[in-house]
Amino acid sequence: MTRKERFGLFASFLVAALSTAAVRADQVADIRKNGELVCGVLGTDEPESFVDPKTRKIIGYDVDLCGAIARRLGVLPQIKQVSVAARIPELLQGRVDVLAASLTHNKEREAVIAFSVSTFVTGQRVMVRRDSGIARIAQLAGKKVVTVKGGTQEPNVRKAVPGVDVVTFETSPQAFVALQQRKAVGFVNDEVSLLDAYGKLGAAQKEYVVLPENISTEVLAIGLRKNETALKTIVDDTLRALEKSGEAEKLFLKWFGPGTRLNFKERNFKLETDRIAE
Amino acid sequence: MAQLDFSAVFSGEFRDWLISGFLLSLRLMVMTLALALPLGAAIALCRLSSVAALRWFGAASVEGIRNIPLLMHLLFWYFAMPELLPAAARDWLNTHGAETICAVIALTLYTSSYIAEDVRSGIRAVPATQLEAARALGFGYLVSMRRIVLPQAVRITIPPLISQTLSLWKNTSIATVIGTAELMYQAQRVETASFRGVETFVLVTVAYLGVSLIITGAASWFQHRFPVRAS
Amino acid sequence: MIALLENYWLYFLVGQFPGGPLGGLALTILLGGGALLLALPLGVLLGLGRVSVSRWLRWPVTTFVYVVRGTPLLMVVFWAYFFLPSLTGQKTGQFTTMLAALVFFNGAYLAEIVRAGIQGVPRGQLEAAQSLGLGYAETMRRVILPQALRNMLPSLVNQFVATLKETSLGYIIGLSELSFIASQINIQVLTQPLAVYGIAALTYFLLCFGLSRLSYRLEARLARSGPEALPA
Repeated sequence: MTRKERFGLFASFLVAALSTAAVRADQVADIRKNGELVCGVLGTDEPESFVDPKTRKIIGYDVDLCGAIARRLGVLPQIKQVSVAARIPELLQGRVDVLAASLTHNKEREAVIAFSVSTFVTGQRVMVRRDSGIARIAQLAGKKVVTVKGGTQEPNVRKAVPGVDVVTFETSPQAFVALQQRKAVGFVNDEVSLLDAYGKLGAAQKEYVVLPENISTEVLAIGLRKNETALKTIVDDTLRALEKSGEAEKLFLKWFGPGTRLNFKERNFKLETDRIAE
Repeated sequence: MAQLDFSAVFSGEFRDWLISGFLLSLRLMVMTLALALPLGAAIALCRLSSVAALRWFGAASVEGIRNIPLLMHLLFWYFAMPELLPAAARDWLNTHGAETICAVIALTLYTSSYIAEDVRSGIRAVPATQLEAARALGFGYLVSMRRIVLPQAVRITIPPLISQTLSLWKNTSIATVIGTAELMYQAQRVETASFRGVETFVLVTVAYLGVSLIITGAASWFQHRFPVRAS
Repeated sequence: MIALLENYWLYFLVGQFPGGPLGGLALTILLGGGALLLALPLGVLLGLGRVSVSRWLRWPVTTFVYVVRGTPLLMVVFWAYFFLPSLTGQKTGQFTTMLAALVFFNGAYLAEIVRAGIQGVPRGQLEAAQSLGLGYAETMRRVILPQALRNMLPSLVNQFVATLKETSLGYIIGLSELSFIASQINIQVLTQPLAVYGIAALTYFLLCFGLSRLSYRLEARLARSGPEALPA
């Protein structure tokens, strides 16, 4: 082993040893002591979480859910912006208490973090330029698509279209700019985010089309650290209570319903379970 | 925290990704050097020229490029510049690896401005009498430069140039922001897919350090083998 | 372009402040200045280590400096980003992460500048101090370092310019510094990438060029009048 490798190994053992020393006893008690719930949100994914250009504050569906959980805990919500690629490490490192960051609940992630009751169900789709002549997902083989780094988009599209070329950027809106600049023929993202971006196009809408096939179903949920059973119970109770009182549906309609860019007529899911299909 | 497991990160497709990223980083460095060395030398000659307009152009290029971060150059050449091209040129660019091409353009311009300054210092370190003697013998300016001054300047300039190569090697990592699939980009990809940050970053750090040490070693060897002679 | 400036100038200058964390140009300057100020003591310590007579001090410090200088800054940023909270046990945000990475990285570069500065002080100074009976630490503190630091000023300003440019890497970890904000504005406006990125580039240029002119003038003054040029 060279000196460099030895040095690297020593450094990583040091980090590993010190990480285990930083395990929290009970997160709920800590949150109540600090008087605030730190929520990791994307801030770049309208309408789940985005920067309001007028007030320059971060608002959205995820932000409101975070507010509800904070209220239940009796503390103030603190919104912290995280990137797609780093949101899970940020949660694991203790920089945020929970993740309300358009986070997909899947089996691979269950090995590292825990998920709340599902808060949203959507699919992942591809938006293409009309003049590319692409009407089906399979036609993307050998072509270039763009998306964000570090999410489920890249693995999903590669699974759905073997032979597709994927280029990723630091944020989804940055990838969308790449599509608009013709750097790729397709842009992969959650259906809701795609429809929102499509809505923002205005007059340019006729140049783009969202392909109807889902390349995957995405169940979104709030992310938590594993073994924080007390916090998970409180989060799940909050979400179920929102559902029961009808608040959850109102929140959905506020951000995704008629009158918004997405203009969904109704919700096709309920906040009731934290299990996902196999 | 789980046990460190390097084989989980350096096997199968993860290994392929990391290796392809490493090779692209090396290619970026070589392509940039091949373009930036002549460009830097040309800018240096502009700055030393007797034509005031050329001198101004050289100085403006160097200062303009050096005082803007490389990240900004990359974003500019990838997201802003192509919009100025005619549609046919833009489409050609986008189907022929725009990410790599724009990265090379940005890196070349950035590195050439630093190389220009090093070459200029190297040329100025050659005593003026050399150039005067050459001109007195009837050689034109460019010929004097090429045959008399530059060969002497090269020996002095090589160590700073090797240092610029080291900077260039490290700078290739920033190309990840415009989607160039070099080593840092692949490192981020492997980290996301494997959930093993420590192992991935240790491997990638070692890769960068390895090449850095080879480059630094080349500099030491050169200075040992070709010490600068006193005038 | 005027409409662009009108709508976004505040966001560009200070980010979300006060409705959120500080960002934009203000953050870039704060981060760059803070990082250099904090890196200076680290650089002095490492520089002293580099010229130390003790092998046990010189070798580890030299190895450390070579390792840090051989690693891309972006790699150092990722290390800090993913593992700093484990080391400190604190919740650290992007600003703290970027600050730590920059201090660490620039400390290693400043070590070389300090080393050159110390070795540039005439040997006579050291000999005179020692013949007056001053110990090593006192010699360094009262005689050598003050003179070395004065000589280093132009290089320090250059390093400040480099640090300001390095803050742009905060873009990659989502820190709302100037480049990130410029990209956010471009994403919103979309039809004027040249104007948006052009203005951002111009801002960096004015900031960095202005500072490097300062360093040039400092260097000229020092060269003209010798070590007594600047007030003690």
